[in-house]
Amino acid sequence: MTSLIKDPLLWVLLGVLIIAVLAVMRARRTNMALRKQSTELRAHRDGLDAERLRLHAEYQNLRAEYDRALAEVRSTAESETKDVLRAWMRTLQVLADEQQRSISDLARLKYGNDPKILADFMTIDHTNSQFGRRAQGIAALCGGWLGRREVAASVYDVARSAQGRIRHFDRVQIHSQVNVAVASTAVEPVAVVLAELLDNATNYSAPGTPVEINIQSVPTGVCLIIDDAGLGISQEEKDRASALLNTRGPISITSLGSPPRVGFAVAGVLAARYGFRVSVDSVSPYGGVRAVILLPESLLTQEVPQPAPTATTDSDGPESSSYGGPVPSPVAIVGKTAGGLPKRRRAVAVVPQPDPSVSDAQEPEHSSEVTASRLGAFARGTLLGRDTSITEGSQEQ
Amino acid sequence: MSGHGEDALVSSELVRSYVITGGRQLPTDDELSLHTLVTLAPDRQLPLTAGPEVRAIWELCSGGYLAVVEVAAHLGLPVGVARLLLTDLAEQGHLLRRAAPPRAKPQERAVIEKVLHGLLKAL
Repeated sequence: MTSLIKDPLLWVLLGVLIIAVLAVMRARRTNMALRKQSTELRAHRDGLDAERLRLHAEYQNLRAEYDRALAEVRSTAESETKDVLRAWMRTLQVLADEQQRSISDLARLKYGNDPKILADFMTIDHTNSQFGRRAQGIAALCGGWLGRREVAASVYDVARSAQGRIRHFDRVQIHSQVNVAVASTAVEPVAVVLAELLDNATNYSAPGTPVEINIQSVPTGVCLIIDDAGLGISQEEKDRASALLNTRGPISITSLGSPPRVGFAVAGVLAARYGFRVSVDSVSPYGGVRAVILLPESLLTQEVPQPAPTATTDSDGPESSSYGGPVPSPVAIVGKTAGGLPKRRRAVAVVPQPDPSVSDAQEPEHSSEVTASRLGAFARGTLLGRDTSITEGSQEQ
Repeated sequence: MSGHGEDALVSSELVRSYVITGGRQLPTDDELSLHTLVTLAPDRQLPLTAGPEVRAIWELCSGGYLAVVEVAAHLGLPVGVARLLLTDLAEQGHLLRRAAPPRAKPQERAVIEKVLHGLLKAL
């Protein structure tokens, strides 16, 4: 036993054992600590995960709210811009109309006999018409009015009116086989839409090529078919046009590009508002674009404004009175121009296209004029007959 | 989509004069002065392509001689535009033209008396 006690190996073994026990205990402690730490960490991680999810959801909410707020701000800004633009355009439209009236009056009453001055007036008038149409287009996009016509006008005259509002009006040819009038409320909208389509047609076809308008009767109303001899438009363009032409709500004016391409947008807005249809998806017989406006019966009328019987007398009064203020009062004009020259011309202009029976039917309305001119001619004839100094040399044919 | 306030009345001419002329050059007043008298030639058919203004002229001038300026006033068109349309009709042979009666000049009293006597005798 003593030998064993004295054996150093025993002590060594004992020492090692003690160390081992200590090590095991320590490892166990560490292990427990680690396990505890791991549990804590896992809990922490779960907490963070939940937090992350919560933050993500919150972010989504904020994002959605931001988008909503942005959209709201945009739409408010857009509608405020539209309000302002509409008010400005209204002023410009009234001024353009006033200027057109001034030009007409000056050309008719003062300078009509001088071909050079008259040609200059026509140039100014032409520019002014285009300017007026632009103002009307912007007004339409902003939900504003185009201006109201007092009387119905023949489809042919509405087409000619549209023709006068574009730059290359001399390339437009109108073929009309119908004898109906456009209701007074629809005259300006149809003229503006047709002008926009003609503007596109003339701008996107070779200079010098004709652009045709064919006016045809269809079972549901009247068709205005615009054919150009351009290169046509791409499918992408067609889709864009068709989207704009079939819009049933307000149009974002900032989405039209810069410089803005407003033609189809204006056509779409006005067509939706007044209830007619516009399409540009077919090909013209000349290879270009064929645009079609379909006017339903509800926008048409058979009523043909009659010429005012007392029209010849008071040309000066009402015309010059319209210079009075910047915004002519509609009521005053309704009353005063009833016998004015402009109305009479318009009325004459809706005399039907080739149709002898109708012009016969209208003769009674003109009978006083005819009688007057016959009497005048008779009086002049008798004077001439008595005057022996007049030669008949200048008579021709 | 409705604008604020009421729609303003548009009272300018619907069809502009340069559209009626087709942007063509306007004739000078050498051929048709303000006072030149015009009327329709007999037995003429209205061209099928005639626009509303030409139809109106046709109707106006079928009743006898009218001065160019009267035609323009009836149509409510500037004289220059009416003159272009009348020139077209004249060139197509539809129109008779006659120079305006010269300004009244003082006649010799003797001539007037002769006329008066002649008339009295005729009665």
